[in-house]
Amino acid sequence: MHRRDAARDRRVELLLGALAVGVIALIVLILVTVLVNGWPSFSANGLHWFGPGGDVVTQFRAMQSSIPLPGHSIYYFRAWPLIWGTLLTTVGAVLIALVVSTLTAIFLTEFAPLPVQRVLLPVVRLLAGVPSVIYGLVGIVALVPWINENLISDGRKQSVAYVVQLNGASLSTAIVILTVMILPIMVALTANALTAVPPAWREGSAALGVNRWRTIWRVSLRAARPAIAAGTVLATARALGEAIMIAMVSGGRPFEANPLDGLTFLFEPVETLASGILEEFGGETNTPIGHTAYAMGAVLLFSAAMLSFTSWVVRRRLRRYGVGG
Amino acid sequence: MRAKRTLVATLALLLVFVAVPTAVGAGRALVIGGSTSVLPLMQKLAAAYHKQYKRIPEPKVSGGQSDIGVAGAASGRFDIGDSSRDPLSTDPPGLVFTKIARDGICVITNDKNPVPNLSQQTIQGIYSGSIRNWSEVPGATATGPIDLFQRDGASGTQDAFQNIIMGISLRISPSASQEASNGLEQSAVAGDENGIGFVSFAYTAGVHAVDYQGVACNLRNARSGQYGAVRNFWMVTKGVPKGEAAKFIDWVTSGNSITKKIISSSWIAIH
Repeated sequence: MHRRDAARDRRVELLLGALAVGVIALIVLILVTVLVNGWPSFSANGLHWFGPGGDVVTQFRAMQSSIPLPGHSIYYFRAWPLIWGTLLTTVGAVLIALVVSTLTAIFLTEFAPLPVQRVLLPVVRLLAGVPSVIYGLVGIVALVPWINENLISDGRKQSVAYVVQLNGASLSTAIVILTVMILPIMVALTANALTAVPPAWREGSAALGVNRWRTIWRVSLRAARPAIAAGTVLATARALGEAIMIAMVSGGRPFEANPLDGLTFLFEPVETLASGILEEFGGETNTPIGHTAYAMGAVLLFSAAMLSFTSWVVRRRLRRYGVGG
Repeated sequence: MRAKRTLVATLALLLVFVAVPTAVGAGRALVIGGSTSVLPLMQKLAAAYHKQYKRIPEPKVSGGQSDIGVAGAASGRFDIGDSSRDPLSTDPPGLVFTKIARDGICVITNDKNPVPNLSQQTIQGIYSGSIRNWSEVPGATATGPIDLFQRDGASGTQDAFQNIIMGISLRISPSASQEASNGLEQSAVAGDENGIGFVSFAYTAGVHAVDYQGVACNLRNARSGQYGAVRNFWMVTKGVPKGEAAKFIDWVTSGNSITKKIISSSWIAIH
């Protein structure tokens, strides 16, 4: 009897082990595939791949028609406008969301009456699961036309008409919707951590005569830092890899939005690495476009990996006095 | 005992996976290639063909160019070449072109800016960036800068627009916004009074379809050949199609419900 139980345990153990190994093997396989397929693009462009130089769409069209740009290889590609777009949208959205989500979580856990809290917290968690294409639709049907009609004057359009067209699909639309998209996960994680702060810590602070805001600021939030960091990393990863929503609301135009343009900057179109893959990659892998798309994917993968690593380091340092995360 | 049974079952399963396809795939798969414009249609047709006739291996379809399709059919590299351009007098002799479908686009503007008619020259001017303001376009009620919408690089509609209206050498202004699908292009123009875009025939609801060279953009005019912004899709064979190639071409041009449905999804069925 015992022998058979042991044998069954052993079998289950083997099965689970095989599954785990399978998952890891799959990840390695993906990494290798992406790197191997992206390599021709990197090796043809060297480190200039990451730099500025010309219009990305022109470069893609050249690859598509198999007619290289004069004086360049067929793989000629300068990703800076896409990298810049990715940085602008991701950093912009995450910074705004960090402030808003922290304040929202504080309100939900410390100030909101219990019934409100009971309703809102599940709603927030539910929102975290809404597919991004829904946000994209809302953006294209509501926000883009609204910005076009109400915020961008004809004069502003005319002033840059020879360089870029402003039609509402812009950096600001992308950041606003991206912020809304990543907020729920950040609010949920921060709120969870805030509720997990041992009451004794806050009571101790109150007993020392510290007022409520200062207690929240110095005790609760400090303790919740690992969770906030974890939420920020998750949100950054989602923002970094978001393709379909960005492609829908940001103009689909790899324009290097320029902060020196003043307010117009916010209305200039952008494209990110992820949305660029979506827009330009037709599905044929063994072509210059395919290799370039894989190279863009490799950069995204590497960024995501670095992000996870950084968050691991940061959380390890914060966890000593923290909860959650 | 149980381990042995598992082993036998696994081996049997492996045998099924390895042996059955080889047995079914006894015949050689058709090799089809050429125009990248025809590629998406041909891939769908090939998959549906194999789904209907399981015994016939799925034709292998690749892209390239119309010229590659024509030359490949002549050299024997392809059983069937795909071409999105009409036959030329310079093509190798002895080739047979079979028309399988038409491909075309409607130019659309916002409902509040119902431009009655646009000539090819005007559209070229607008999309190449030499006409930038609606006040320069006859019949336009909108004022102010023109917002250009195009499709992304992987789109067949984009390819059709470039080849039918712009021509090989004229480039679309880089300031044009890219949309990822016909539907998104449609809603982008529907939401922008100053917008202009181009879509497949099925996507003109909620926007204004502009007459092209004086002919209304609808399926009837496109089928009859009156409407100008269309092109033909061809299957090219060396001589009259024979054997498996003939079977496939006959199936595609037979006008059965499956091919009709596939072609009408984004193209114009003519059979």
